[in-house]
Amino acid sequence: MNVDLFGGSVNVWLDAFIRLQLIVLLMTVVVMGYTYLERKIVARFNQRVGPQKTGPFGLLQAVADALKLVGKEDLRPRSADPWTFELGPYFVFIPVLMGFVIVPFMADWNIRLLELGLIYFVAVSGLSIIGWVMAGWGSDNRYALLGALRAVAQGISYELPLVLSVIALAMFAGTYNLGLIVEQQDQVPYIVWQPMTAMIFFIAALAELNRAPFDIPVGESEVAGGPFIEYSGIRWSMFQLAEYAAIFVMSIVFSSIFLGGYIWPFGEELGVGFQLLLTGAKALLFFFVIVWIRVSVPRLRIDQLMAYSWKVLLPLTLAQVMVNGLVLVNGWSEVVLLVTGLIGCAALVMITSRAVVRPRMPAMRTAPAMQGEAA
Amino acid sequence: MTNENTEAAAPEELDLSGTIWAEVDRVLSGVTARPEPGALDLIVHIPPDEVIMGLRRLKTDEALDFNYLRSLTAVDLEEDGMDVVYHLFSTNTKQNLTVKTRLDNDNLAVDTATTVWRAANWLERETAEMFGIRFNGHPDPRTLLMPEDMTDTFPLRKAHPLAEIEILQGEGMGYPEEGE
Amino acid sequence: MVATPEVGPPGVGHPEAEFQTQDLLLNVGPQHPSTHGVFRMVLQVDGEVVRDVIPYIGYLHRGAEKLCETMDYRQGIGFMDRTEYLAAFNAELSYVMAVEKLAEIEVPERAQWIRMILCEMNRLSSHFMFMGAFGIDVGVFATPFIYAWKEREQLIDLFEEVSGDRMMYAYFRPGGLAWDVPANFKQRVREVLESTKVGIKDFDGLLTTNEIFRARTQGVGYISAEDAIDWGMSGPSIRASGVNIDVRKDEPYMFYDQIDFNVPTRTEGDVYARYACRMDEMWESVRIIEQCLEKMPDYGPIMPEKMPRMLRTPPGEVYLRTEAPRGEYGIYLVSEGGNRPYRLKVRSACLSNLQALKDMSVGHYMADAIIVLGSIDIVLSEVDR
Repeated sequence: MNVDLFGGSVNVWLDAFIRLQLIVLLMTVVVMGYTYLERKIVARFNQRVGPQKTGPFGLLQAVADALKLVGKEDLRPRSADPWTFELGPYFVFIPVLMGFVIVPFMADWNIRLLELGLIYFVAVSGLSIIGWVMAGWGSDNRYALLGALRAVAQGISYELPLVLSVIALAMFAGTYNLGLIVEQQDQVPYIVWQPMTAMIFFIAALAELNRAPFDIPVGESEVAGGPFIEYSGIRWSMFQLAEYAAIFVMSIVFSSIFLGGYIWPFGEELGVGFQLLLTGAKALLFFFVIVWIRVSVPRLRIDQLMAYSWKVLLPLTLAQVMVNGLVLVNGWSEVVLLVTGLIGCAALVMITSRAVVRPRMPAMRTAPAMQGEAA
Repeated sequence: MTNENTEAAAPEELDLSGTIWAEVDRVLSGVTARPEPGALDLIVHIPPDEVIMGLRRLKTDEALDFNYLRSLTAVDLEEDGMDVVYHLFSTNTKQNLTVKTRLDNDNLAVDTATTVWRAANWLERETAEMFGIRFNGHPDPRTLLMPEDMTDTFPLRKAHPLAEIEILQGEGMGYPEEGE
Repeated sequence: MVATPEVGPPGVGHPEAEFQTQDLLLNVGPQHPSTHGVFRMVLQVDGEVVRDVIPYIGYLHRGAEKLCETMDYRQGIGFMDRTEYLAAFNAELSYVMAVEKLAEIEVPERAQWIRMILCEMNRLSSHFMFMGAFGIDVGVFATPFIYAWKEREQLIDLFEEVSGDRMMYAYFRPGGLAWDVPANFKQRVREVLESTKVGIKDFDGLLTTNEIFRARTQGVGYISAEDAIDWGMSGPSIRASGVNIDVRKDEPYMFYDQIDFNVPTRTEGDVYARYACRMDEMWESVRIIEQCLEKMPDYGPIMPEKMPRMLRTPPGEVYLRTEAPRGEYGIYLVSEGGNRPYRLKVRSACLSNLQALKDMSVGHYMADAIIVLGSIDIVLSEVDR
């Protein structure tokens, strides 16, 4: 059977293969660009310059890093469990690649726009948690195990606000198909009608990506690496690749469902080049905000992190779903959504700043080491 | 040796008028204590079997209230034995006091001061491992700075050799013959 | 199960829970990611909660006390630098003041003012180091570290102009200073102070009011005033618990009684209070330096007229303490005549502060134990000497 690919007509299997190869290529280039960009942006925030020697403006820094990592010795702990240790990175990496299938980059440019695209995306991105646990347990290292368990707790806790915010948005948009969602935003992006959903999705996405301030699994005793301690060389770089690729996918999804994707503001009229520019600009904006947050905010402790998800984000998301349902069933104007959304955003900010400041009393205090009499 | 004997023996040497000796003497009544004026603080010498009782009295007395142990260390006086030195401070009255006790070379043991101040814990561990003094009743008599198995060498004793700087610098990595 | 406990008594399970658990012995090893030096502690954790902390020190022990017994009083100054390399001027100060006390040497006025200025600037640079390392402990990626070190570089550049070295100065001598400060010293100090004030304000805005930072540090690592006094803590760590002891105010040395400054104390006793005490102390140091600059005479000797070539001290002993940035740094010097100490004991503030680590960390989460360790602000070279 032949399908249409860029105007030509090719075998369906070859078409799938070519599309997937293009995704892999795109993702590699984007990830290398992201590592470079992150270092430059962090450096500028720190009043430094960042990479500047390798290549013009340090652009080849990522290439140099990749070459270094490839040349490293592939260490493997002797007591590491062979199957889980080997397969862990793949289980982290492959679900991220699978998430690329449904994202629309430009008009008619995607792998396959599924009818249940958003559901597929959320389901697949949750699979990488298995990889973290495999890596952490298989390493036979206490720090790795603790990091992996923290990652699981965090990942599962923040799945719920993520999924519920996606559902809230899908209720409003009327479809799960990402292509349709983007095309419906040609006048007004959905962030106007669903501001609180966007905020909650953003925060939950930060937690799912294990980025600051939710990077306690990877900040084990500060910079000891968490589940990735025992990996070296190219295996470790696969985790990094997966992280940046996940950021890329999440940024495209976020911009597609909230910021109007490639359509808004003038995508349809100005053609393919401008659409590509819009997609790229929105993805970069998302990335910039993520790096900005990372470089300026301390890390949340695991209990604060989980309390935040269960006690703050989840009730607010449920409230948003109910408000969406009420508006849709009663056929009220969308302005109601705007007003309630803004009130919700204000509530979120206020609750956040109050909730995290409340001091935590220690659970147990030891008796003094010795009393006045002889020990 | 009581207070009267000391002052009768050498009255012109001990001018304790500017110090807190009067108070300390009142608190340490019943404990053999011999004062000595130091460069900054008053120094009180107490025999080793009474020193912990004296320290506890100094801490619990309300007027003196020496609730802060600044430092605890020892001085190796070779043939004369070893001095264990306690530096005390009162956070309320801002007074200072030094208490010294002389241990004989054949009985290097004294009771632990951790029952009086917890701060003595690590300080006594360090003094014990450096000088070989045994602090009876210490809750955690492990080595602090030295390796765990180095319990028979006491580095800060004068008998423990340290090469002269010329040997160490002159020969580069050479170690002296009789040394460690 | 992969994680089996090491040697040592296994943790006690929790009989009140339905299933038997075993505490994990976690080794926060000598190679420590935070920039505190070689320090090892074994945490006994039950899940995430710390039940016991066993610190192991001694990795940086270099025998400074024994070595100084073979050095004369000028050679020993280099050793004192290295026992506290982040606040080396304060370390040297205690030592030379102890020697001067025993030998009854009168230090000229100008040298004392210069010493005061340099010691307070060293307090500033040491607190900047704390701020940077503490920011990393709390989890901000690199920004507080770089902000703090930008300011610290200015201070260290000034120290290099004065003494020739960036960190281990060996600049003070018994009696005064090794050589005079450069001619533009006052102007340079004023320049550095201007930049430091901006730097402290920037840093303050970065972390102090950040909600996540306050959530991580408030209520964590509490120690009461009585416990702190009993453990012999000193410096900002004890002033954060409400105990107002500061050697500069209790027993003023040099010209601290002529300078108008406050000693910041707080009552909460937690990690945030210690951080805030140090921040306030930086502002106070700036005030002290500005007043010293005005009172310092522009010309004058920096060493007494008749200094012997080989300094000998009469027999005696002295315990001299000064307020170093980390606490009370004391030198107990026993001399039996001659040009070398008979016994030199360094009373280290960090050692006494570190003893209280267990009291402060037990019952908290593991990530908090790291923050508590960071807030005590230890430098291992002083703990181990």
